[in-house]
Amino acid sequence: MTPEEFRKRVIKRESLIRLITLGIFVVIGLLTLLGVPGMLVSFLLAFVITYMFKPVVNALERNGTNRTAAILIPFSVVGVLLWGVYKLLLPGITESLVELQAELPKYSASLGELFETHSKTVNELLSKFGNFDVTARLTEWAKTSSSNFLTELPNFISLSLTTLLLAPFFAFFMLRDGRSITKELLQLVPNNFFELSLNLIYQINQQLGGFIRARLVESLLVGAVVWPGLYLLDVPYSLFLAIVAGLTNLIPYIGPVIGAAPGLAIGFVSGATSTVLMLIALVYVVAQILDMIFIIPLVIAKIVDLHPVTVVVVIIIGSQVMGVLGMIISIPVASILKLTFSVFYNHVVDIRG
Amino acid sequence: MQYLWENIFKRLEREQNISSILAQNILFRNLSKSELRFIEKIIHIRKYRAGEYIFRQNENGVGMYIIAKGRVDITIIDDIFIDPSEEKEVVVTRLEPGDFFGELALVEDVSRRSASAVASSDTILIGFFKPDLLEILERDPGIGVKVIFRLAEVLGRRLKETTEKISQLKKEIRLLGELHEVNTSDS
Repeated sequence: MTPEEFRKRVIKRESLIRLITLGIFVVIGLLTLLGVPGMLVSFLLAFVITYMFKPVVNALERNGTNRTAAILIPFSVVGVLLWGVYKLLLPGITESLVELQAELPKYSASLGELFETHSKTVNELLSKFGNFDVTARLTEWAKTSSSNFLTELPNFISLSLTTLLLAPFFAFFMLRDGRSITKELLQLVPNNFFELSLNLIYQINQQLGGFIRARLVESLLVGAVVWPGLYLLDVPYSLFLAIVAGLTNLIPYIGPVIGAAPGLAIGFVSGATSTVLMLIALVYVVAQILDMIFIIPLVIAKIVDLHPVTVVVVIIIGSQVMGVLGMIISIPVASILKLTFSVFYNHVVDIRG
Repeated sequence: MQYLWENIFKRLEREQNISSILAQNILFRNLSKSELRFIEKIIHIRKYRAGEYIFRQNENGVGMYIIAKGRVDITIIDDIFIDPSEEKEVVVTRLEPGDFFGELALVEDVSRRSASAVASSDTILIGFFKPDLLEILERDPGIGVKVIFRLAEVLGRRLKETTEKISQLKKEIRLLGELHEVNTSDS
């Protein structure tokens, strides 16, 4: 073997060792995210907080504040605000819950009546397609889901609390040490892929940051339209319904329908006339139209460069793999994958060309 | 234990070496000590074996490298041959510690490397890339502006050198043409 060949062999071996080490880190990271309950949600929430706070933290740092202090300031402000909102709204929420508890028999009775009136027709209709007893199926579903709900509730609450508390903790370190962690990981990237990986991480960061901020603006806009609309129509729990509409709007396509359903149901059972029901629906439609006119074409379409058919397909895949969470994260994940493939493809073509 | 101490000592020595190289580089010469410490947290240190490519001609590039240790050859593919199998790489220049290359990629939107860079001995490089420059501009525009101003100075100087080279070549071509005319009229 000539010295030249030996040198090439050493370079190849070192690149391979780096690549394997990086691969092991990535696999361990993915296994932790997917294997530990609540970890993935904590991390996703931490990313959302990080991308939300990053422009504020950078602006504070530009004005001479030390990085750690610049991170602590938005955390403290949001913490105080949340505490204030909790203190201010708690009596209202408690009152609403007590009211809802008192009204619940009325709602269930009217829903029961509605069910009684229509179950015969539905059963008759379905019997044409086979032996299908809706009443029995629904009773069984209600029984199992209510018992599941009661047994799973304590676990669910403790998991949600851990998830919610871990998210800001992770976000703090992502904002403070994110750069040095990325730098350490980049040390493991083989030399021939280093510049490519650095640029790819930068582009993904820009795309994700833009996407998350745009989706949050979207949710805020939907909530800001739904709240006064429902409040003016005298629909009870308008603030709660607006929050639900804003949050469910994060689910592509079916989110707005899910978000509108509770508003229409509450309007219906509280005895709203058909005109008021139409107006409630109109409030949700107006929120969606504003979203479609301003946010989607101006912000999201520019950030996520995906064909509409691809969007539908990835949402279906996301829902099959991870349910609602999968639907929410499917579009950013698909756009990251597209970006990664195109950057690597261009690199390979560059080398060959 | 001794190995550990040697390692720590080597690392400290390398860090000191890197900060002095940064301080001497034209791009960062105007910066104060605290500003240089900020830059040190941003830049990347890469090690290359002799014969290893840092980047290849026509590849997309995103930044520049400063040589901390070792030597780097800048090569171009000599494509005057009609048969591509005859193409060979020609060394244009050899760079020494303190020299830097690839700085055009810091300002170009899509930058293609005009030459290849290959380590001619075991080499340590300081990498400074466009995402790093953008981060500096976002977090501390004061430092960013100083660096960009120096970068503009470097690019301006390179442009001036290229223009001078072109005028020199034009002169030589004209002289050759005149010589050719004299020769043909004599014969």
